[in-house]
Amino acid sequence: MNRRELLLAASALPLVGLAGSASRAFAQGAPEVVIGVLYAMSGPSAQVGIDARHAFETAAEIINGSFDFDMPTAKAAGLQGLGGAKVRLVYADHQSDPQKGRAEAERLITQDKVTALIGCYQSAVSSTVSAVAERYGVPFLCADSSSPSLQRKKLKFFFRPAAQDEMFSAAMFDFFDAQKKKGKKIESVGLFYEDTIFGVDSSNVQRKLAAERGYKIAADIKYKSNSPSLSAEVQQLKSADPDVLMPSTYTTDAILLVKTMAELGYKPRNLVAQASGFSEQVTFDAVGDKLIGAISRASFSLDLAAKRPFIGKVNEMYKARSSRDLNDNSSRELMGLIILADAIDRAKATDGAKIRDALVATDIPGTRTIMPWARVHFNEEGQNPDASPVLLQYTGSKFVTIFPEDVAIAAAIWPMNG
Amino acid sequence: MTDATLSSLKLRGDAFIAKRRRQLVVAAAVFAAVACLPLGIRDVYLQNVLILTLLYAAVSQSWNILGGYCGQISLGHALYFGIGAYAASVLYVNYDIVPWFGMVVGGVLSAILAVGLGFMTFRLKGHYFAIATLVIAEIGLVLVHNWDFVGGALGIQWPFGTDSIWTLQFARDKVPYFYFALGLLVVVWLVTYFIENSRWGFWWRAVKDDPEAAESLGVEVFRSKLAAAAVSAFFTAVGGGFYAAFVSYIDPESVMSFRFSLLFALPAVLGGIGTLWGAPLGAAILIPLTEITRSYLGGSGSGLDLIIYGALIMVVALAKPEGLLSLFTRKSGGKA
Repeated sequence: MNRRELLLAASALPLVGLAGSASRAFAQGAPEVVIGVLYAMSGPSAQVGIDARHAFETAAEIINGSFDFDMPTAKAAGLQGLGGAKVRLVYADHQSDPQKGRAEAERLITQDKVTALIGCYQSAVSSTVSAVAERYGVPFLCADSSSPSLQRKKLKFFFRPAAQDEMFSAAMFDFFDAQKKKGKKIESVGLFYEDTIFGVDSSNVQRKLAAERGYKIAADIKYKSNSPSLSAEVQQLKSADPDVLMPSTYTTDAILLVKTMAELGYKPRNLVAQASGFSEQVTFDAVGDKLIGAISRASFSLDLAAKRPFIGKVNEMYKARSSRDLNDNSSRELMGLIILADAIDRAKATDGAKIRDALVATDIPGTRTIMPWARVHFNEEGQNPDASPVLLQYTGSKFVTIFPEDVAIAAAIWPMNG
Repeated sequence: MTDATLSSLKLRGDAFIAKRRRQLVVAAAVFAAVACLPLGIRDVYLQNVLILTLLYAAVSQSWNILGGYCGQISLGHALYFGIGAYAASVLYVNYDIVPWFGMVVGGVLSAILAVGLGFMTFRLKGHYFAIATLVIAEIGLVLVHNWDFVGGALGIQWPFGTDSIWTLQFARDKVPYFYFALGLLVVVWLVTYFIENSRWGFWWRAVKDDPEAAESLGVEVFRSKLAAAAVSAFFTAVGGGFYAAFVSYIDPESVMSFRFSLLFALPAVLGGIGTLWGAPLGAAILIPLTEITRSYLGGSGSGLDLIIYGALIMVVALAKPEGLLSLFTRKSGGKA
């Protein structure tokens, strides 16, 4: 094979892929509902996409098979409203790029004729995908992007069953208020956040809530994400010495922050984190010994399995695929697809407008989900207002749920560093 | 003898003029053929690929003016692209000014900035200049990230509106975007075509070959570079403004990150640097390849699409380091 032949062969490969997908589309016999799944499957966030894929496959197994779980769509095989139709998932890679997310959403709608879309982790991508969904009248279930700005566009085809950042931060301040009532000292907070959409959005909400509820902001520090050093920032934190340090950071920065705090001898009295870096196992593998007593908000806690045994079984099904437990993201993704399938089942149709009406009519009690949510229903902005988050505390070996009290299994250790 | 020399010179001149004319005819034929594509291709996804191909061809051709003809390799053109995208978005979303005007404002701002930055960086040579452009673009990215007036990290969402050619907003129709992108490519191509044969064009190539020799022959090297940078930045920014209108959402990462700077240089390098057709040819291969492999192979998470993409660039770099255009020009060159 000479160079030119190699070049020709390489350029012919995508055509083979095209032919493959075309023949798949023609080979469908049984009735099926096609749902488009949009995640970053390559690039720095690829792991999130791969985990999401396992979560969606688990959800599809639950929907398409028959399981004795007290969850919507679990008992019957397939979607009863559509004559036992099976859910088929089509994946697309948006590479964390809003433009690519938009193009892929259009492709899934026009070429794969998907009934609905689900995604997208990065809020910026969910933003363009939700706009495409709106323009084509196809429901978009936003499983795991938590930027509050997404729902403010008041789109008709946008639905988010999980909490957004305002609700997460509100839970933290609810917890502070509760601790205060118990006579614990919390007067000042220290905000520490990275400079992308996640950190900025999170800090905006926290600043507002602190002012409303009368907590002094002792430190308000924005840092450049993926910074090589955080020494100057940690010095500022140390001298401000807030009662609670509230970081909004991704994984690598979280590890660097904890290491730098240890080097400079700064022990925060309490640490309450906006998940992300502080809910990743990697962080606790690296610096867990310095994080005993650290608290993080979460959408999910495996502690709930004690009260609802099917959660443990769902977790086993997921673990068999991905060899890890359900976490904050994968649980939201899995539950998101089930909520979407339940609406399609009730709509008894694959028509976008009818599924939208069914989604609007959704009312699932929290106990029939794998989440700590009170209830699943959608307000006029498409947001579930009762997706109650939880706070988890790291005990040195595992996380325990400490808030809200109705799902807590232990009392909070406060302060973490006395 | 003098008669013979004169007539041979005249012949060569005639051949040159004929070649220039032929190029124009070929261009008219190619662009006319491309303009007919939406008649046959109705699928919005494929139309989307075509639009991106034309846009990147146009922006890469703009890059080529500075990087190819003048030989100043910039790895920071994402800065100008971002300025265009932000100018169009801020003026439209905050002040209701149509993006057509916003793009031109972005273009002018970018051209001015390019001249200003040129004063600082054009005394650097080769790799040092490339690194300087890269660093300046990164500084721009950080500044925009932290500038709340332009949306900071949250970016700017274009509002939903009715379909209109004035606001360049079309809910589902892709054809108007296609013709805008094609129009931009035609304009940039024509500008390149005319500059190629102008005094500036010859100066730029002289600067590229050997700045010292050019200077000794009376070429104003510094001013040449500044002019090339301004023209190049202007059209890159217009492309950025169009991109913002097309995607209707921008944030710093999605218009100003380093990968855009690479994406503008790559088609020109792949197709043939400093040539009229190199950038369009490179874009016509590179963009559909990345888009289509990602769409049909990327969902698996295996990374196969990126492997094919990387392999292709390596194959070209090894087999045709002067660019793919040489496959065509060698044949015609043999004739002459």
